[in-house]
Amino acid sequence: MTFDRKRIGIVCPYGWDTPGGVQAHIADLATFLISQGHHVSVLAPTSEEANLPDYVVSAGKPISIPYNGAVARILFGPIAFSRVKSWIAQGDFDLLHLHEPAIPSISLLACFAAEGPLVGTFHASAKRQKAIFAIGPILEPVIEKLTARIAVSEAARETLTEHLETDAVVVPNGIYARRLAQGSLNPQWEGNSIGFIGRFQEPRKGLSILVDALPAIIGEVPDIRIIVAGPGDAEEFLEGVPSHLHSRFSFLGRISEQEKADFLHSIGVYVAPNTGGESFGIILAEALAAGAAVVASDIPAFQALLGNGKYGSLFASEDSSSLAESITALLKDRKTREQLKLDGKVYAQNFDWDEVANRIYDVYEMAMVGLGKVTLSSENRGWNKFLGK
Amino acid sequence: MNFKSLLLLFLIAIFAWYLSFLATRLDRLHHRVETSWANLDGLLQRRAAIAIEIARSEIADPASSLLLTFAAHQARDASVKDRSQAETGLSGTLGILLETSETMQGAIEQELLRELSDLNEKIKVAISLHVESVNRTQLIRSKWIIRTFRLAGRAPLPVTYEFEADVL
Repeated sequence: MTFDRKRIGIVCPYGWDTPGGVQAHIADLATFLISQGHHVSVLAPTSEEANLPDYVVSAGKPISIPYNGAVARILFGPIAFSRVKSWIAQGDFDLLHLHEPAIPSISLLACFAAEGPLVGTFHASAKRQKAIFAIGPILEPVIEKLTARIAVSEAARETLTEHLETDAVVVPNGIYARRLAQGSLNPQWEGNSIGFIGRFQEPRKGLSILVDALPAIIGEVPDIRIIVAGPGDAEEFLEGVPSHLHSRFSFLGRISEQEKADFLHSIGVYVAPNTGGESFGIILAEALAAGAAVVASDIPAFQALLGNGKYGSLFASEDSSSLAESITALLKDRKTREQLKLDGKVYAQNFDWDEVANRIYDVYEMAMVGLGKVTLSSENRGWNKFLGK
Repeated sequence: MNFKSLLLLFLIAIFAWYLSFLATRLDRLHHRVETSWANLDGLLQRRAAIAIEIARSEIADPASSLLLTFAAHQARDASVKDRSQAETGLSGTLGILLETSETMQGAIEQELLRELSDLNEKIKVAISLHVESVNRTQLIRSKWIIRTFRLAGRAPLPVTYEFEADVL
Protein backbone atom coordinates (compact mmCIF):
# COMPACT_ATOMS: atom_id res chain seq x y z
CA MET A 1 0.00 0.00 0.00
CA THR A 2 1.32 3.46 -0.78
CA PHE A 3 0.48 6.52 1.24
CA ASP A 4 1.03 10.23 0.83
CA ARG A 5 4.02 11.28 2.83
CA LYS A 6 2.96 12.98 6.02
CA ARG A 7 4.69 14.71 8.88
CA ILE A 8 3.59 12.92 12.02
CA GLY A 9 4.38 13.98 15.58
CA ILE A 10 4.07 11.38 18.35
CA VAL A 11 4.17 12.29 22.04
CA CYS A 12 5.30 9.72 24.62
CA PRO A 13 4.35 10.56 28.21
CA TYR A 14 6.81 8.22 29.94
CA GLY A 15 10.60 8.31 30.20
CA TRP A 16 12.02 6.92 26.96
CA ASP A 17 14.96 5.14 28.64
CA THR A 18 12.83 2.99 30.94
CA PRO A 19 11.43 -0.09 29.23
CA GLY A 20 7.65 -0.23 29.11
CA GLY A 21 4.70 -1.17 26.96
CA VAL A 22 3.84 2.35 25.81
CA GLN A 23 7.43 3.19 24.87
CA ALA A 24 7.84 -0.07 22.98
CA HIS A 25 4.55 0.53 21.16
CA ILE A 26 5.63 4.01 20.11
CA ALA A 27 9.08 2.85 18.99
CA ASP A 28 7.55 0.11 16.82
CA LEU A 29 4.89 2.42 15.41
CA ALA A 30 7.47 5.11 14.60
CA THR A 31 9.74 2.58 12.88
CA PHE A 32 6.82 1.26 10.85
CA LEU A 33 5.66 4.75 9.78
CA ILE A 34 9.21 5.72 8.81
CA SER A 35 9.53 2.56 6.73
CA GLN A 36 6.38 3.68 4.89
CA GLY A 37 8.12 6.94 3.98
CA HIS A 38 6.56 9.29 6.52
CA HIS A 39 8.46 11.86 8.52
CA VAL A 40 8.13 11.00 12.21
CA SER A 41 9.21 12.92 15.28
CA VAL A 42 8.69 11.51 18.78
CA LEU A 43 8.72 13.88 21.73
CA ALA A 44 9.55 12.07 24.98
CA PRO A 45 11.09 12.70 28.37
CA THR A 46 14.61 11.25 28.46
CA SER A 47 17.27 11.08 31.19
CA GLU A 48 20.17 10.82 28.77
CA GLU A 49 20.39 12.54 25.43
CA ALA A 50 22.95 10.07 24.13
CA ASN A 51 21.92 6.85 22.36
CA LEU A 52 18.54 8.16 21.30
CA PRO A 53 17.12 7.05 17.95
CA ASP A 54 17.15 9.81 15.31
CA TYR A 55 13.43 10.37 15.51
CA VAL A 56 13.29 11.04 19.28
CA VAL A 57 13.36 14.61 20.58
CA SER A 58 13.98 15.08 24.29
CA ALA A 59 11.51 17.13 26.32
CA GLY A 60 13.63 17.08 29.48
CA LYS A 61 14.37 14.74 32.37
CA PRO A 62 11.42 12.68 33.68
CA ILE A 63 10.27 12.76 37.29
CA SER A 64 9.43 9.51 39.14
CA ILE A 65 5.96 9.43 40.66
CA PRO A 66 3.86 6.50 41.90
CA TYR A 67 0.89 6.03 39.59
CA ASN A 68 -1.50 3.11 38.94
CA GLY A 69 0.42 0.67 41.14
CA ALA A 70 3.81 1.29 39.59
CA VAL A 71 6.37 4.06 39.47
CA ALA A 72 5.67 6.23 36.45
CA ARG A 73 8.40 8.39 34.98
CA ILE A 74 6.58 11.40 33.64
CA LEU A 75 7.25 15.07 32.95
CA PHE A 76 5.36 18.33 33.43
CA GLY A 77 5.95 21.92 34.49
CA PRO A 78 6.41 25.26 32.70
CA ILE A 79 9.75 24.41 31.07
CA ALA A 80 8.39 21.17 29.66
CA PHE A 81 5.31 23.05 28.47
CA SER A 82 7.33 25.62 26.57
CA ARG A 83 9.39 22.84 24.98
CA VAL A 84 6.21 21.07 23.92
CA LYS A 85 4.91 24.29 22.37
CA SER A 86 8.07 25.03 20.45
CA TRP A 87 8.20 21.42 19.23
CA ILE A 88 4.65 21.80 17.90
CA ALA A 89 5.32 25.22 16.39
CA GLN A 90 8.50 24.10 14.61
CA GLY A 91 7.37 20.61 13.63
CA ASP A 92 4.87 21.69 10.95
CA PHE A 93 2.98 18.45 11.58
CA ASP A 94 0.06 17.08 9.57
CA LEU A 95 -1.06 15.11 12.60
CA LEU A 96 -0.22 14.69 16.25
CA HIS A 97 -0.58 11.29 17.91
CA LEU A 98 -0.76 11.65 21.69
CA HIS A 99 -0.31 8.63 23.92
CA GLU A 100 -2.09 8.51 27.29
CA PRO A 101 -3.31 12.12 27.10
CA ALA A 102 -5.27 11.63 30.33
CA ILE A 103 -2.26 11.27 32.58
CA PRO A 104 -0.41 14.36 33.83
CA SER A 105 2.52 14.35 31.43
CA ILE A 106 3.62 15.97 28.18
CA SER A 107 0.87 14.32 26.10
CA LEU A 108 -1.71 16.24 28.10
CA LEU A 109 0.33 19.44 27.66
CA ALA A 110 0.55 18.85 23.92
CA CYS A 111 -3.18 18.24 23.72
CA PHE A 112 -3.77 21.49 25.54
CA ALA A 113 -1.38 23.46 23.36
CA ALA A 114 -2.25 22.11 19.92
CA GLU A 115 -5.13 22.45 17.51
CA GLY A 116 -5.88 20.51 14.34
CA PRO A 117 -5.83 16.79 13.62
CA LEU A 118 -5.12 15.14 16.98
CA VAL A 119 -5.32 11.42 17.66
CA GLY A 120 -5.13 10.08 21.20
CA THR A 121 -4.33 6.53 22.23
CA PHE A 122 -5.44 5.29 25.64
CA HIS A 123 -3.44 2.37 26.99
CA ALA A 124 -4.32 2.15 30.67
CA SER A 125 -7.27 0.50 32.23
CA ALA A 126 -8.11 1.29 35.83
CA LYS A 127 -10.98 0.82 38.18
CA ARG A 128 -13.22 3.80 38.66
CA GLN A 129 -11.54 6.07 41.17
CA LYS A 130 -13.04 8.79 43.28
CA ALA A 131 -10.33 11.24 42.24
CA ILE A 132 -11.67 11.10 38.69
CA PHE A 133 -14.76 13.02 39.73
CA ALA A 134 -12.52 15.91 40.67
CA ILE A 135 -10.21 15.58 37.67
CA GLY A 136 -12.91 14.93 35.06
CA PRO A 137 -14.12 18.50 34.56
CA ILE A 138 -10.54 19.73 34.10
CA LEU A 139 -9.61 17.02 31.63
CA GLU A 140 -12.85 17.09 29.67
CA PRO A 141 -12.30 20.21 27.53
CA VAL A 142 -8.74 19.09 26.79
CA ILE A 143 -9.55 15.49 25.87
CA GLU A 144 -12.46 16.79 23.81
CA LYS A 145 -9.98 18.35 21.39
CA LEU A 146 -8.86 14.94 20.18
CA THR A 147 -10.27 14.37 16.72
CA ALA A 148 -10.14 10.61 17.13
CA ARG A 149 -9.52 8.32 20.05
CA ILE A 150 -7.98 4.88 20.01
CA ALA A 151 -8.12 2.40 22.88
CA VAL A 152 -5.71 -0.53 22.87
CA SER A 153 -8.22 -2.95 24.35
CA GLU A 154 -11.85 -3.30 25.37
CA ALA A 155 -10.72 -2.77 28.97
CA ALA A 156 -9.06 0.53 28.09
CA ARG A 157 -12.15 1.57 26.16
CA GLU A 158 -14.40 0.83 29.14
CA THR A 159 -12.13 2.86 31.40
CA LEU A 160 -12.42 5.72 28.97
CA THR A 161 -16.20 5.62 28.76
CA GLU A 162 -16.48 5.36 32.54
CA HIS A 163 -13.99 8.07 33.41
CA LEU A 164 -14.35 10.60 30.65
CA GLU A 165 -17.60 9.61 28.99
CA THR A 166 -16.20 9.39 25.50
CA ASP A 167 -16.00 6.46 23.15
CA ALA A 168 -13.01 5.16 21.25
CA VAL A 169 -12.06 2.90 18.37
CA VAL A 170 -10.32 -0.26 19.56
CA VAL A 171 -7.02 -0.99 17.82
CA PRO A 172 -4.92 -3.59 19.67
CA ASN A 173 -1.22 -3.26 20.43
CA GLY A 174 1.09 -4.50 17.74
CA ILE A 175 3.70 -7.24 17.91
CA TYR A 176 6.14 -8.69 15.38
CA ALA A 177 4.18 -11.90 15.13
CA ARG A 178 6.03 -13.23 12.09
CA ARG A 179 9.46 -12.69 13.56
CA LEU A 180 8.42 -14.24 16.88
CA ALA A 181 6.99 -17.27 15.14
CA GLN A 182 10.47 -18.17 13.89
CA GLY A 183 12.06 -18.99 17.26
CA SER A 184 14.20 -22.13 17.50
CA LEU A 185 14.25 -24.70 20.30
CA ASN A 186 16.87 -24.24 23.00
CA PRO A 187 17.39 -27.46 25.04
CA GLN A 188 18.41 -25.37 28.08
CA TRP A 189 14.89 -24.06 28.42
CA GLU A 190 12.90 -27.08 27.24
CA GLY A 191 11.01 -29.62 29.30
CA ASN A 192 9.03 -29.00 32.46
CA SER A 193 9.83 -25.33 32.68
CA ILE A 194 7.74 -22.30 33.57
CA GLY A 195 8.69 -19.09 31.81
CA PHE A 196 8.07 -15.50 32.85
CA ILE A 197 9.13 -12.21 31.22
CA GLY A 198 8.86 -8.82 32.90
CA ARG A 199 9.88 -6.69 35.86
CA PHE A 200 9.52 -9.57 38.32
CA GLN A 201 9.89 -7.46 41.45
CA GLU A 202 6.76 -5.43 40.83
CA PRO A 203 3.96 -6.78 43.06
CA ARG A 204 1.27 -6.38 40.38
CA LYS A 205 3.15 -8.76 38.08
CA GLY A 206 2.18 -11.41 40.62
CA LEU A 207 5.30 -13.58 40.64
CA SER A 208 4.87 -14.11 44.41
CA ILE A 209 1.68 -16.05 43.64
CA LEU A 210 3.74 -18.41 41.53
CA VAL A 211 6.18 -18.81 44.45
CA ASP A 212 3.26 -19.75 46.72
CA ALA A 213 1.99 -22.23 44.15
CA LEU A 214 5.39 -23.84 43.66
CA PRO A 215 5.31 -26.49 46.48
CA ALA A 216 2.02 -27.88 45.14
CA ILE A 217 3.43 -27.99 41.58
CA ILE A 218 6.60 -29.77 42.78
CA GLY A 219 4.35 -32.42 44.36
CA GLU A 220 2.99 -33.28 40.90
CA VAL A 221 5.90 -32.39 38.63
CA PRO A 222 9.13 -32.98 40.61
CA ASP A 223 11.56 -31.60 38.02
CA ILE A 224 9.82 -28.25 37.52
CA ARG A 225 12.02 -25.19 36.88
CA ILE A 226 11.19 -21.52 36.71
CA ILE A 227 13.03 -19.32 34.25
CA VAL A 228 12.61 -15.59 34.64
CA ALA A 229 13.66 -12.99 32.07
CA GLY A 230 13.51 -9.25 32.55
CA PRO A 231 15.17 -6.45 34.49
CA GLY A 232 15.40 -6.65 38.28
CA ASP A 233 17.53 -7.68 41.23
CA ALA A 234 17.42 -11.50 41.46
CA GLU A 235 19.07 -11.74 44.88
CA GLU A 236 16.72 -9.27 46.42
CA PHE A 237 13.80 -11.22 44.97
CA LEU A 238 15.08 -14.56 46.30
CA GLU A 239 15.22 -13.14 49.83
CA GLY A 240 11.45 -13.34 49.84
CA VAL A 241 11.46 -16.97 48.65
CA PRO A 242 11.89 -19.99 51.02
CA SER A 243 15.51 -21.15 50.67
CA HIS A 244 14.73 -24.75 49.62
CA LEU A 245 13.05 -23.35 46.50
CA HIS A 246 16.01 -21.21 45.41
CA SER A 247 17.49 -23.92 43.20
CA ARG A 248 14.31 -23.99 41.11
CA PHE A 249 14.80 -20.44 39.87
CA SER A 250 17.10 -19.17 37.19
CA PHE A 251 17.32 -15.58 36.02
CA LEU A 252 18.29 -14.50 32.52
CA GLY A 253 18.21 -10.73 32.99
CA ARG A 254 17.20 -8.70 29.95
CA ILE A 255 17.05 -10.71 26.74
CA SER A 256 17.22 -9.70 23.08
CA GLU A 257 14.29 -10.01 20.66
CA GLN A 258 15.82 -13.14 19.11
CA GLU A 259 16.35 -14.73 22.53
CA LYS A 260 12.78 -13.85 23.43
CA ALA A 261 11.45 -15.76 20.42
CA ASP A 262 13.62 -18.80 21.27
CA PHE A 263 12.73 -18.59 24.95
CA LEU A 264 8.97 -18.45 24.37
CA HIS A 265 9.20 -21.22 21.80
CA SER A 266 11.16 -23.55 24.11
CA ILE A 267 9.55 -23.30 27.55
CA GLY A 268 6.90 -25.74 28.80
CA VAL A 269 4.35 -23.13 29.83
CA TYR A 270 4.38 -19.33 29.96
CA VAL A 271 2.78 -17.91 33.07
CA ALA A 272 1.26 -14.43 33.58
CA PRO A 273 0.00 -14.22 37.19
CA ASN A 274 -0.63 -10.43 37.03
CA THR A 275 -3.03 -9.16 39.65
CA GLY A 276 -4.28 -6.15 37.69
CA GLY A 277 -3.27 -2.80 36.23
CA GLU A 278 -2.90 -4.52 32.89
CA SER A 279 -4.86 -3.27 29.92
CA PHE A 280 -3.91 -5.43 26.98
CA GLY A 281 -1.17 -7.92 27.87
CA ILE A 282 1.27 -7.45 25.03
CA ILE A 283 3.63 -10.08 26.43
CA LEU A 284 0.84 -12.66 26.30
CA ALA A 285 0.19 -11.83 22.66
CA GLU A 286 3.91 -12.27 22.01
CA ALA A 287 3.98 -15.56 23.89
CA LEU A 288 1.07 -16.82 21.76
CA ALA A 289 2.75 -15.67 18.56
CA ALA A 290 5.95 -17.51 19.49
CA GLY A 291 3.95 -20.67 20.13
CA ALA A 292 3.96 -20.89 23.92
CA ALA A 293 1.23 -22.53 25.97
CA VAL A 294 -0.06 -19.80 28.26
CA VAL A 295 -1.42 -19.81 31.81
CA ALA A 296 -2.77 -16.41 32.88
CA SER A 297 -4.80 -14.88 35.69
CA ASP A 298 -8.45 -14.19 34.85
CA ILE A 299 -8.22 -10.37 34.98
CA PRO A 300 -10.46 -8.76 32.32
CA ALA A 301 -7.64 -7.83 29.94
CA PHE A 302 -6.26 -11.37 29.82
CA GLN A 303 -9.71 -12.92 29.57
CA ALA A 304 -10.42 -10.78 26.53
CA LEU A 305 -7.03 -11.45 24.94
CA LEU A 306 -7.20 -15.21 25.47
CA GLY A 307 -10.77 -15.43 24.15
CA ASN A 308 -12.10 -16.57 27.56
CA GLY A 309 -9.70 -19.47 27.74
CA LYS A 310 -9.82 -20.53 24.09
CA TYR A 311 -6.16 -19.66 23.46
CA GLY A 312 -4.73 -20.22 26.93
CA SER A 313 -5.57 -21.52 30.36
CA LEU A 314 -7.02 -19.05 32.89
CA PHE A 315 -6.83 -19.32 36.70
CA ALA A 316 -8.57 -17.35 39.48
CA SER A 317 -6.46 -14.22 39.98
CA GLU A 318 -4.39 -14.12 43.21
CA ASP A 319 -5.28 -17.74 44.00
CA SER A 320 -2.08 -19.82 44.18
CA SER A 321 -3.82 -23.21 44.42
CA SER A 322 -5.84 -22.47 41.28
CA LEU A 323 -2.58 -21.46 39.56
CA ALA A 324 -0.86 -24.69 40.64
CA GLU A 325 -3.76 -26.73 39.28
CA SER A 326 -3.76 -24.99 35.91
CA ILE A 327 -0.01 -25.36 35.47
CA THR A 328 0.18 -29.05 36.40
CA ALA A 329 -2.87 -29.86 34.30
CA LEU A 330 -1.30 -28.23 31.27
CA LEU A 331 2.15 -29.73 31.80
CA LYS A 332 0.71 -33.22 32.08
CA ASP A 333 -1.61 -33.00 29.11
CA ARG A 334 0.59 -32.87 26.05
CA LYS A 335 -2.26 -33.02 23.57
CA THR A 336 -4.13 -29.99 24.92
CA ARG A 337 -0.87 -28.10 25.17
CA GLU A 338 0.03 -28.68 21.53
CA GLN A 339 -3.46 -27.70 20.43
CA LEU A 340 -3.28 -24.45 22.46
CA LYS A 341 0.12 -23.65 20.96
CA LEU A 342 -1.17 -24.17 17.45
CA ASP A 343 -4.38 -22.16 17.85
CA GLY A 344 -2.61 -19.37 19.71
CA LYS A 345 0.00 -18.94 17.01
CA VAL A 346 -2.61 -18.48 14.28
CA TYR A 347 -4.73 -16.18 16.44
CA ALA A 348 -1.78 -13.95 17.38
CA GLN A 349 -1.27 -13.03 13.71
CA ASN A 350 -4.14 -10.57 14.22
CA PHE A 351 -1.80 -8.46 16.33
CA ASP A 352 0.96 -8.28 13.78
CA TRP A 353 2.29 -4.76 13.16
CA ASP A 354 1.41 -4.77 9.46
CA GLU A 355 -2.22 -5.27 10.36
CA VAL A 356 -2.26 -2.96 13.38
CA ALA A 357 -0.30 -0.07 11.87
CA ASN A 358 -2.55 0.02 8.83
CA ARG A 359 -5.57 0.26 11.09
CA ILE A 360 -3.94 3.08 13.04
CA TYR A 361 -3.15 4.83 9.77
CA ASP A 362 -6.81 4.52 8.72
CA VAL A 363 -7.72 6.46 11.84
CA TYR A 364 -5.01 9.04 11.02
CA GLU A 365 -6.47 9.53 7.55
CA MET A 366 -9.91 10.20 8.96
CA ALA A 367 -8.58 12.61 11.53
CA MET A 368 -6.76 14.56 8.81
CA VAL A 369 -9.83 15.13 6.63
CA GLY A 370 -10.47 18.82 6.29
CA LEU A 371 -8.55 20.01 9.32
CA GLY A 372 -5.31 21.24 7.77
CA LYS A 373 -2.06 21.29 9.71
CA VAL A 374 -1.43 21.10 13.44
CA THR A 375 -0.99 24.56 14.93
CA LEU A 376 -0.76 26.02 18.38
CA SER A 377 -4.26 26.65 19.65
CA SER A 378 -5.53 30.20 19.46
CA GLU A 379 -5.26 30.78 23.22
CA ASN A 380 -1.57 29.97 23.14
CA ARG A 381 -0.86 31.97 20.03
CA GLY A 382 -2.27 35.00 21.80
CA TRP A 383 -0.06 34.48 24.82
CA ASN A 384 3.03 34.02 22.70
CA LYS A 385 2.36 37.28 20.90
CA PHE A 386 1.75 38.99 24.22
CA LEU A 387 5.04 37.70 25.62
CA GLY A 388 6.85 38.74 22.44
CA LYS A 389 7.87 35.27 21.37
CA MET B 1 -12.18 53.62 41.98
CA ASN B 2 -12.49 51.59 45.09
CA PHE B 3 -11.53 48.00 45.69
CA LYS B 4 -15.01 46.63 45.21
CA SER B 5 -15.53 47.98 41.72
CA LEU B 6 -12.07 46.75 40.72
CA LEU B 7 -12.94 43.28 41.93
CA LEU B 8 -16.22 43.42 40.05
CA LEU B 9 -14.43 44.41 36.87
CA PHE B 10 -11.97 41.58 37.35
CA LEU B 11 -14.78 39.07 37.82
CA ILE B 12 -16.56 40.32 34.72
CA ALA B 13 -13.34 40.00 32.74
CA ILE B 14 -12.88 36.41 33.92
CA PHE B 15 -16.48 35.60 33.09
CA ALA B 16 -16.10 37.08 29.64
CA TRP B 17 -12.96 35.05 29.09
CA TYR B 18 -14.80 31.92 30.21
CA LEU B 19 -17.64 32.60 27.78
CA SER B 20 -15.23 33.07 24.91
CA PHE B 21 -13.45 29.86 25.95
CA LEU B 22 -16.76 27.98 25.86
CA ALA B 23 -17.66 29.49 22.50
CA THR B 24 -14.31 28.40 21.01
CA ARG B 25 -14.83 24.94 22.38
CA LEU B 26 -18.30 24.74 20.90
CA ASP B 27 -17.15 26.12 17.58
CA ARG B 28 -14.47 23.45 17.40
CA LEU B 29 -17.09 20.77 18.04
CA HIS B 30 -19.43 22.09 15.36
CA HIS B 31 -16.56 22.14 12.94
CA ARG B 32 -15.73 18.56 13.86
CA VAL B 33 -19.31 17.40 13.32
CA GLU B 34 -19.18 18.82 9.81
CA THR B 35 -15.82 17.31 8.89
CA SER B 36 -16.65 13.91 10.36
CA TRP B 37 -19.92 13.92 8.43
CA ALA B 38 -18.19 14.96 5.21
CA ASN B 39 -15.74 12.13 5.73
CA LEU B 40 -18.44 9.57 6.40
CA ASP B 41 -20.57 10.84 3.52
CA GLY B 42 -17.63 10.47 1.16
CA LEU B 43 -16.98 6.91 2.28
CA LEU B 44 -20.66 5.96 1.95
CA GLN B 45 -20.75 7.42 -1.57
CA ARG B 46 -17.72 5.36 -2.48
CA ARG B 47 -19.39 2.28 -1.09
CA ALA B 48 -22.48 2.92 -3.20
CA ALA B 49 -20.25 3.30 -6.26
CA ILE B 50 -18.50 0.00 -5.53
CA ALA B 51 -21.87 -1.65 -4.95
CA ILE B 52 -22.96 -0.64 -8.44
CA GLU B 53 -19.71 -1.96 -9.88
CA ILE B 54 -20.25 -5.23 -8.07
CA ALA B 55 -23.80 -5.37 -9.39
CA ARG B 56 -22.42 -5.17 -12.93
CA SER B 57 -19.66 -7.73 -12.34
CA GLU B 58 -19.65 -11.51 -12.31
CA ILE B 59 -20.13 -11.61 -8.54
CA ALA B 60 -23.82 -10.89 -8.56
CA ASP B 61 -26.43 -13.07 -10.22
CA PRO B 62 -29.17 -11.17 -12.10
CA ALA B 63 -31.55 -11.11 -9.13
CA SER B 64 -29.06 -9.83 -6.56
CA SER B 65 -27.66 -7.49 -9.20
CA LEU B 66 -31.09 -5.92 -9.50
CA LEU B 67 -31.48 -5.66 -5.73
CA LEU B 68 -28.02 -4.19 -5.31
CA THR B 69 -28.40 -1.59 -8.02
CA PHE B 70 -31.72 -0.55 -6.55
CA ALA B 71 -30.32 -0.28 -3.02
CA ALA B 72 -27.23 1.61 -4.15
CA HIS B 73 -29.26 4.16 -6.11
CA GLN B 74 -31.60 4.62 -3.21
CA ALA B 75 -28.67 5.27 -0.88
CA ARG B 76 -27.27 7.85 -3.27
CA ASP B 77 -30.53 9.67 -3.91
CA ALA B 78 -31.87 9.56 -0.35
CA SER B 79 -32.65 12.82 1.38
CA VAL B 80 -30.95 13.48 4.71
CA LYS B 81 -34.04 12.18 6.47
CA ASP B 82 -34.14 8.83 4.69
CA ARG B 83 -30.41 8.41 4.35
CA SER B 84 -29.76 6.15 7.30
CA GLN B 85 -32.54 3.77 6.31
CA ALA B 86 -31.28 3.62 2.74
CA GLU B 87 -27.68 2.98 3.85
CA THR B 88 -28.81 0.25 6.20
CA GLY B 89 -30.66 -1.35 3.29
CA LEU B 90 -27.50 -1.28 1.19
CA SER B 91 -25.45 -2.74 4.07
CA GLY B 92 -27.93 -5.59 4.33
CA THR B 93 -27.88 -6.38 0.63
CA LEU B 94 -24.09 -6.24 0.47
CA GLY B 95 -23.87 -8.43 3.58
CA ILE B 96 -26.02 -11.16 2.05
CA LEU B 97 -24.03 -11.03 -1.18
CA LEU B 98 -20.65 -11.22 0.58
CA GLU B 99 -21.70 -14.20 2.63
CA THR B 100 -22.59 -16.17 -0.47
CA SER B 101 -19.70 -15.09 -2.70
CA GLU B 102 -16.63 -16.21 -0.79
CA THR B 103 -15.55 -18.61 -3.50
CA MET B 104 -15.20 -16.03 -6.28
CA GLN B 105 -12.17 -16.72 -8.47
CA GLY B 106 -11.67 -13.85 -10.92
CA ALA B 107 -8.94 -11.30 -10.14
CA ILE B 108 -11.14 -8.28 -10.77
CA GLU B 109 -13.87 -9.68 -8.55
CA GLN B 110 -11.37 -10.42 -5.78
CA GLU B 111 -10.07 -6.87 -6.04
CA LEU B 112 -13.58 -5.44 -5.80
CA LEU B 113 -14.44 -7.51 -2.76
CA ARG B 114 -11.20 -6.59 -1.02
CA GLU B 115 -11.81 -2.92 -1.72
CA LEU B 116 -15.28 -3.25 -0.26
CA SER B 117 -14.11 -4.92 2.92
CA ASP B 118 -11.37 -2.27 3.41
CA LEU B 119 -14.01 0.38 2.92
CA ASN B 120 -16.32 -1.27 5.44
CA GLU B 121 -13.58 -1.16 8.08
CA LYS B 122 -13.08 2.53 7.41
CA ILE B 123 -16.79 3.23 7.52
CA LYS B 124 -16.97 1.63 10.96
CA VAL B 125 -14.29 3.98 12.26
CA ALA B 126 -15.87 6.98 10.53
CA ILE B 127 -19.25 6.18 12.07
CA SER B 128 -17.83 5.99 15.56
CA LEU B 129 -16.00 9.31 15.08
CA HIS B 130 -19.12 11.00 13.79
CA VAL B 131 -21.42 9.61 16.46
CA GLU B 132 -18.94 10.67 19.10
CA SER B 133 -18.68 14.25 17.82
CA VAL B 134 -22.46 14.56 17.52
CA ASN B 135 -23.03 13.27 21.04
CA ARG B 136 -20.38 15.58 22.46
CA THR B 137 -21.84 18.61 20.73
CA GLN B 138 -25.35 17.82 21.88
CA LEU B 139 -24.10 17.33 25.42
CA ILE B 140 -22.23 20.65 25.52
CA ARG B 141 -25.10 22.52 23.90
CA SER B 142 -27.50 21.33 26.55
CA LYS B 143 -25.52 23.13 29.27
CA TRP B 144 -27.56 25.99 30.71
CA ILE B 145 -24.80 28.58 30.37
CA ILE B 146 -24.50 27.90 26.66
CA ARG B 147 -28.24 28.09 26.15
CA THR B 148 -28.64 31.25 28.22
CA PHE B 149 -25.90 33.16 26.42
CA ARG B 150 -26.78 31.67 23.02
CA LEU B 151 -23.19 30.68 22.42
CA ALA B 152 -24.20 28.27 19.69
CA GLY B 153 -25.39 31.18 17.56
CA ARG B 154 -27.41 30.06 14.58
CA ALA B 155 -25.58 26.75 14.07
CA PRO B 156 -28.14 23.97 13.67
CA LEU B 157 -28.21 21.32 16.38
CA PRO B 158 -26.46 18.25 14.98
CA VAL B 159 -28.79 15.35 14.36
CA THR B 160 -28.08 11.88 15.63
CA TYR B 161 -27.72 9.59 12.69
CA GLU B 162 -29.06 6.10 13.35
CA PHE B 163 -26.59 3.46 12.24
CA GLU B 164 -26.98 -0.22 12.56
CA ALA B 165 -23.35 -0.89 13.13
CA ASP B 166 -23.86 -4.64 13.28
CA VAL B 167 -24.99 -4.96 9.67
CA LEU B 168 -21.81 -3.36 8.35
